[in-house]
Amino acid sequence: MELEAMMTRARRGLREERRLYVVAVSSLAVAFLSVGGALLAMQNLSRLADRWGQSARMTVYLAEGIEAADRTQLQITLESLPEVASLRHLSGAEAREEFLAHAEVDSSLAALPADAFPASFEVELAAGTAPARAATIAERVGELRGIDDIETYQGWHERLAALVRAGRGVAGALTFLVLLCVVAVIGNTIRLAVARRRDEIEVMKLCGATDRFVRGPFVLEGAFQGLLAAVLSVLVLMAAFAALRGAFDASLAALAGTRTVFLHPALLAAIILSGGLLGAAGSAVSLRRYLQV
Amino acid sequence: MAKRKEGARPFAFFRAGARADAVSTAKPILVLEDVYKYFREDHPTLRGVNLVVERGEFCFVTGPSGAGKSTLLQLIYRKHTVDAGRILFCGRDIARLREKSIPFLRRNLGIVFQDFKVVRHWTVQENVAIALDILDMPRRLVRSRVGEALERVGLEGRGGERTENLSGGEMQRVAVARAIVTEPALILADEPTGNLDPHLAIDILTLFEEIHATGTTVLFATHDHSLIAKRNHRLISIDEGRVLEARQGLASWRSDAPPAPAEEPVTPADNPRPVLRPGLHAVS
Ligand SMILES: Nc1ncnc2c1ncn2[C@@H]1O[C@H](COP(=O)(O)OP(=O)(O)OP(=O)(O)O)[C@@H](O)[C@H]1O
Ligand SMILES: [Mg+2]
Repeated sequence: MELEAMMTRARRGLREERRLYVVAVSSLAVAFLSVGGALLAMQNLSRLADRWGQSARMTVYLAEGIEAADRTQLQITLESLPEVASLRHLSGAEAREEFLAHAEVDSSLAALPADAFPASFEVELAAGTAPARAATIAERVGELRGIDDIETYQGWHERLAALVRAGRGVAGALTFLVLLCVVAVIGNTIRLAVARRRDEIEVMKLCGATDRFVRGPFVLEGAFQGLLAAVLSVLVLMAAFAALRGAFDASLAALAGTRTVFLHPALLAAIILSGGLLGAAGSAVSLRRYLQV
Repeated sequence: MAKRKEGARPFAFFRAGARADAVSTAKPILVLEDVYKYFREDHPTLRGVNLVVERGEFCFVTGPSGAGKSTLLQLIYRKHTVDAGRILFCGRDIARLREKSIPFLRRNLGIVFQDFKVVRHWTVQENVAIALDILDMPRRLVRSRVGEALERVGLEGRGGERTENLSGGEMQRVAVARAIVTEPALILADEPTGNLDPHLAIDILTLFEEIHATGTTVLFATHDHSLIAKRNHRLISIDEGRVLEARQGLASWRSDAPPAPAEEPVTPADNPRPVLRPGLHAVS
């Protein structure tokens, strides 16, 4: 088969130009790695944002010296709201203990006075409560007697969401940049390979080789380089993730009750596949310019 | 010239799967009609070349440096296109071939150059096999055909050697093997002995004559007069872009141009090698 002859020549090309190709593959692997890393960071960041958006919470801080009757009345009112899923009362002392337990503290913090934290109701809103709805509830509750302040964490959520949006933009720009970079690097490498194999190209053309026959191996070589670079970058990303996830997981669990996740296998497959396709495309672009058949 | 109707696909012959029909086999293999080639506007390299080469002829093409010998051959394998006139190969006008069909024209030609044009880092086997790989021939057949061709050029058993380790004469034999392995109808040799010493030049010439003896048409460009004088082949002399027939071959014999005596005539009867079937390739 013609394809067989092309594969044989492509293999030979890869072997003979291996120094050239090792340089190309390693620089492309770094490029793919940066995209993979950005995607991984974005994925976890947006998961965190989603999680915060979904599990709307609010903390209702009670005024100092609130009457027990007022507090009970407040609790009943809050519990009667349909959006409120659960309610927990936290005295100032309890809040202090919880803080100290979480903050793996040094002893200077342990010297905090007992009344450093105000008493509060920790309100868990029903899953799926929109942030806007949570804000209205907070406003209404805020008018009740005996309340000092209400924290809806909406500011936090907004800031995180903005971060995710910015991150998506950066990841998109980076992907586009890497796309260009892959096409340029492979194109340049193939241009060099074409120059080095000028004599055999001439011989083939004089023997009646078609365009396809002459170009095919170069396209295969480009595709292979792109594929190899993508596979390498995925492997490095996996290794880095395995090594670093422990450190992130502890703080993420404390912060939002989530764990880091790796990229979906389908996304990994897409990265590898696009590596191959980009390699082939870069090679084809270069051949069009530098190989007049 | 009267226009001939050749159907919707006049160049089907050069395409994959086409077969040479009886008509094209009977025609002269090569006809040049009033061919002009300009590389500079004011000064044509070839001016009004008329030439008929019959099937099975051996022709020397000679002339001073810059006369246009190489240009003539390059027009035949469509490195360049004529600016006026026609070149008919097996009755088909190759100037009208589309770019896409040029490979199929070249598959019917064997081309040999002064500078060998072998791939130096390939083995001898690979250099010859490439011509058959292009035809998409099965591996097993390629091996046996390459072996056969190497035997014909006197390089039997040397297929595994790297070509760059060979001597100049041996490299040219590799190039000849590559040219004949596809059994083309026409061999174009552009000063194939130009880089070789006189003794080797005779060897290579003899090799072409052996190939010719099996029925292949050969155009052999050279400006080596000692080589031409040793043989009684038809002599096509080019000067200032015009063709002068100095010595006629068998097919276009004229009584006013008696052939020069041959010192070492090589006839098919002298050739002990098996006769292959040169001719037109139907590429599949
Ligand atoms: N590609 C080209 N572009 C411009 N001029 C060309 C080209 N090819 C040939 N010529 C010109 O055409 C003329 C004939 O060249 P050609 O190579 O055919 O000569 P030749 O008879 O083969 O000479 P030699 O014996 O030195 O090989 C020369 O004047 C050359 O400069
Ligand atoms: Mg020349």
